Amino acid sequence: MTDKADHSRRNFLYVAAGGLGAVAAGATAVPFVGSMFPAADTLAASKTEYDVSTVVEGQLVVIQWQGKPVFVVNRTADMLNRVKGHDDLLKDPMSQAIDAVQAEWMDTDEKRIYRAIKPEILIVVASCTHLGCIPLFKPTSGREDWGDSVPENWAGGWHCPCHGSFYDLSARVVNGSPAPQNLHVMPYKYKTDSVVLIG
Amino acid sequence: MIEKMMNTRLFHWVDERTQLGSIIKSQLTEYPVPKNFNYMWNFGSLALLVLVLQIVTGIFLVMYYKPSAELTYGGYTVAFDSVERIMRDINFGWLIRYMHAVGASAFFVVVYMHIGRGLYYGSYKGPRELLWIIGVVILLIMQGAAFFGYLLPWGQMSFWGATVITNLFGALPVIGEYLQQLLRGGFAVGDPTLNRFFSLHYLFPLLLAAIVGGHIHALHVVHSNNPEGIDIDQEKETIPFHPYYTVKDALGVGVFLLGYCYFVFFNPEAWGYFIEVDNFVPANNLQTPAHIAPVWYLTPWYTILRTFENKLIGVLMMGGSLAILFVLPFLDRSKVRSARYRPVFRQMVILFFVSVVVLGYCGHSAPSATLKIVGAIATSVYFGFFLLLPFVHKFEKTKPLPEGI
Ligand code: HEM
Ligand code: FES
Repeated sequence: MTDKADHSRRNFLYVAAGGLGAVAAGATAVPFVGSMFPAADTLAASKTEYDVSTVVEGQLVVIQWQGKPVFVVNRTADMLNRVKGHDDLLKDPMSQAIDAVQAEWMDTDEKRIYRAIKPEILIVVASCTHLGCIPLFKPTSGREDWGDSVPENWAGGWHCPCHGSFYDLSARVVNGSPAPQNLHVMPYKYKTDSVVLIG
Repeated sequence: MIEKMMNTRLFHWVDERTQLGSIIKSQLTEYPVPKNFNYMWNFGSLALLVLVLQIVTGIFLVMYYKPSAELTYGGYTVAFDSVERIMRDINFGWLIRYMHAVGASAFFVVVYMHIGRGLYYGSYKGPRELLWIIGVVILLIMQGAAFFGYLLPWGQMSFWGATVITNLFGALPVIGEYLQQLLRGGFAVGDPTLNRFFSLHYLFPLLLAAIVGGHIHALHVVHSNNPEGIDIDQEKETIPFHPYYTVKDALGVGVFLLGYCYFVFFNPEAWGYFIEVDNFVPANNLQTPAHIAPVWYLTPWYTILRTFENKLIGVLMMGGSLAILFVLPFLDRSKVRSARYRPVFRQMVILFFVSVVVLGYCGHSAPSATLKIVGAIATSVYFGFFLLLPFVHKFEKTKPLPEGI
């Protein structure tokens, strides 16, 4: 009996049946793994409106967009001055490293440096690009207000409490920080003179 | 007592259908154990005890715990409030929760001692390589279970710890972003994350129970190592597990329970080491606590992560520091097991233990320039141990091994 068996045909059938079984088993994993990705209602691009005129000069507000925290800062003239003059200390002074740190409207060097449509109103995602903590706002320069939690030549900006990343007043990451990138910008536009639509 | 029980008619009835009698004999009353164990061999049975405690207290907590990040009228969340209700209103809820929270730390104390024992006495070496590897799997699943569990009370530390750790996966190239979304079920840690962590927090300990079964089975095939680290005469140099080691393990349980009860009843937060102070504050996704650090048992690995400025390298080194434990049995080429007879290895392994403690201390403290250097040194010592190990047998003069025990 066995002599007559066609082994190559048998092996083919084994492999074909086994292979199909494996594909089927793999396919059943799709709905299970798929179910773990963000649901449709979570994904639905939610937009947030915010009236930036409610932020007084020098103030920082944290708002929410898609469950993520967002910084809105109204920078004073003095703060804007302190954005300049330390490009050599920054990892990515012109915000060019990846898509998430730049936007279409960044069409001039000025806008790349201030990272804002209206220079005084900075709007950025508030998650540290290292591991996602919310950096602390330490806007005044020097160590007077912040002690040695900031470097001696501190020009004002953010300090992340988790692993010590620093960002300047344009939310650009300072050399030596564990964070790889500047704080991300997200799409936004001015609906009126003072109301922005985020998302 | 066991003999008496085994002579009853009921036992015979069961035995005829399951061979329970021969299982009891081969695994307990006639299972041979080296006669020279020291107290470092008590931690295995303690780990089993704590696993059972965690599963039992966990199942009772689930009867009242509610995994939801929905806001309540009080301005907190359903999850946070349900834990507070367990603490204040449920009969003995405070006790069960503290047993569980203290139990998590106790679990790691016991397991780290157990692992340290294995390192010092060379228990990872042949023929026990697979036994060791199963142990490393247990360690990883435990760390996962504890991480998932820590999110459940939905306090500040829960939230931000989970944010940081899920971001770690985001650092991996290509798959990182998907993996992160898979873990979170959204763009940030939120309600979907809480629900899936709850599901996995239930699953992992049950997985653990099954794998611990495999660990013990593997042990009973290759048998225990001993403080001298030598192969022994399975007849002359052993004593039966029961009653000799059941009694010794029972003594260990008594001592352990004294310490455990002290913490459960008098010091459940353990000065912020077992339950971090910030976790009494409800989660707030718009504000990071001033200093975030994982619970003590994860801090050594957290320091390794922080040591590297490049995020991806940090993540890989942290993963590598755990993964390297898998290949330890194959890195060490010496014929001698126990550090008692290996003067060079003995220094190395003690230095390694010190490096883990230093790493743990650095990870628990707020980052500073000095600690960063200390952490970097400790990280090099940690990895140096594994890198040097394959060469030690070439120059190490081992001491003469005893003939028997
Ligand atoms: C490997 C064993 C386990 C470990 C290491 C572990 C660890 C933890 C940790 C660290 C917490 C946070 C404690 C706190 O600060 O309140 C926790 C909470 C919780 N665990 Fe577990 N757990 C284990 C097994 C289980 C099991 C088997 C269940 C259920 C079947 C369970 C159910 C819960 C519940 C409901 C909570 C939330 C209540 C609370 O926060 O106290 N756990 N677990
Ligand atoms: S999360 Fe900000 S420095 Fe790590």
